[in-house]
Amino acid sequence: MEDLGRISQLVIPIMGHDMVFNLNVIIMTWIVMGLLVFFGIMASRKRNVLPNPVQVVGELLVSNLYGLTEDALNKERSKSYSPLITALFMFLLLSNWVGMIPHMHEPTKDLNTPLSLGLMGFVIAHYAGIRAKGFKKYAKAYFEPIFFMAPLNIIGEVSKVISIAFRLFGNIMGGSIIILVVSHLVFSLVLPPFLNAFFVIFIGAIQAFVFTMLTLVYIAVQVN
Amino acid sequence: MAIEIESWVKVAAFSGAGLSMGLGAIGAAIGEGFAAAKANAAISRNPGISGDIFKLMLVGQAVAETAAIFSLVIGIILLFSNYSTASIISMAALFGAGLCMGFGAIGSGVGSGYPAGEACEGVARQPEMRGRLTTNMLIGSAVSQTPAIFSMVVAFMLMFLNFSGAPLHPTSAALLGAGLATGLASIGSGLGSGLAAGASCEGSARQPLNVGNITVIMLVGQAVSQTPSIFGLLISFVLMFKAYPSSELLGASMALLSAGLCTGFGGIGPGVGNGMTAQSAVTWVARNVRQESVLMRTMLVGQAVSQSTAIYAMVISLALIFLI
Repeated sequence: MEDLGRISQLVIPIMGHDMVFNLNVIIMTWIVMGLLVFFGIMASRKRNVLPNPVQVVGELLVSNLYGLTEDALNKERSKSYSPLITALFMFLLLSNWVGMIPHMHEPTKDLNTPLSLGLMGFVIAHYAGIRAKGFKKYAKAYFEPIFFMAPLNIIGEVSKVISIAFRLFGNIMGGSIIILVVSHLVFSLVLPPFLNAFFVIFIGAIQAFVFTMLTLVYIAVQVN
Repeated sequence: MAIEIESWVKVAAFSGAGLSMGLGAIGAAIGEGFAAAKANAAISRNPGISGDIFKLMLVGQAVAETAAIFSLVIGIILLFSNYSTASIISMAALFGAGLCMGFGAIGSGVGSGYPAGEACEGVARQPEMRGRLTTNMLIGSAVSQTPAIFSMVVAFMLMFLNFSGAPLHPTSAALLGAGLATGLASIGSGLGSGLAAGASCEGSARQPLNVGNITVIMLVGQAVSQTPSIFGLLISFVLMFKAYPSSELLGASMALLSAGLCTGFGGIGPGVGNGMTAQSAVTWVARNVRQESVLMRTMLVGQAVSQSTAIYAMVISLALIFLI
């Protein structure tokens, strides 16, 4: 029970300030990225008209997410944004599922990962908005409906980042805490597999999808 | 004196357990009743498949009961744990945990009843869609449980984290406030996301071809309706993990408690309101899928505006925590 809220950190003091690295998160993120690269190589190696199983999974992911991007943006833009959306979804899905394996932790369980991904989405959405509409039209959107709504609009944009990051973080960390505590209470008998199936596989997949869709929708709102 | 404070901690744990289960039972029962009522209507519309509808009703009710089961777990843990650290802080933490789970279960319980009921009606209307509707219902109700999960997490943290080093006075109020923030804010969000999920079950039965689009807009709508409960979670975390200087002033304690109350109550309305927006958007995507992108944009803008009241509440809470 003691590891509820325990984080292993590497603290490097530089010029009077402490630089803190969360080792678990860094290692797990690299493992997830390595697995994804491996998956990518396996899926695209020996491409064939009669695909091998890995290629089928890869094609399913790419074509479905490409379709979703095309629904939200137009055909031209979806070409440049769908690789981002696909990669984001695959990374989040694997990050959320990796915690199922004992001694592995979800990188998304640490607030830093969702928050940085949320900030990334925020920056990309606004960049896309400026590029699509031009700066003048983009800036004008903040002064709608009346000019003094500007501060509120800005707070609203910032709160999007907070909500998207905390939604993922809360769900994944919540699931892992519930699994930890309930497994501890029932002495790891019977319940843990079902808890993992629900909180890790099911909720993990849904939240990965929700995060990806929200990033896509925020881009679409800025662009249109 | 030591014995006395221990018995006070027990008092807090017992009343927390009672409130957790008592309040938590409200929502799930309403939701299940709604599902059963819709199932009755569905069976009289299409008596030929009454067996299927009955099964679907039971599955949906079982999912809707999840929130009440969370309350039960918290209640049982509160009743049967041994508390080694006896102080006013643990009193506040245990009572706060009970309140948090109790309030937090209300919205999700009612909310996840909606998809169950609408799915029963949908199967009666469109028996071929049985499998797809069940999946849709399960996804929708699982997402509606998110606010209850947030409350459970905050309740667990309040019960199991060690706050013993913190100064007695503002911290105990802060912990009570942390429980109330997530608990109260979850009411609206749970209910709201249930509305969206219900509309999606109804819509996919009406227009089976558009199931994919309906599910996507449902998930986005639900996610945005849950933002108020996320604000509650944020305030709870800040209240739990901030270090406070010791202060005997009543004002300092009251500021922290009202920070929790402010975000909590402020989240109820926006959660329900955003849910209504999402419900209507999902309903109309099912009927007019070609306008999906316009509907999605209008929904998001409308939700952002109705969300702003929750943001005001959060700003005031943060001001109460950090400025006073």
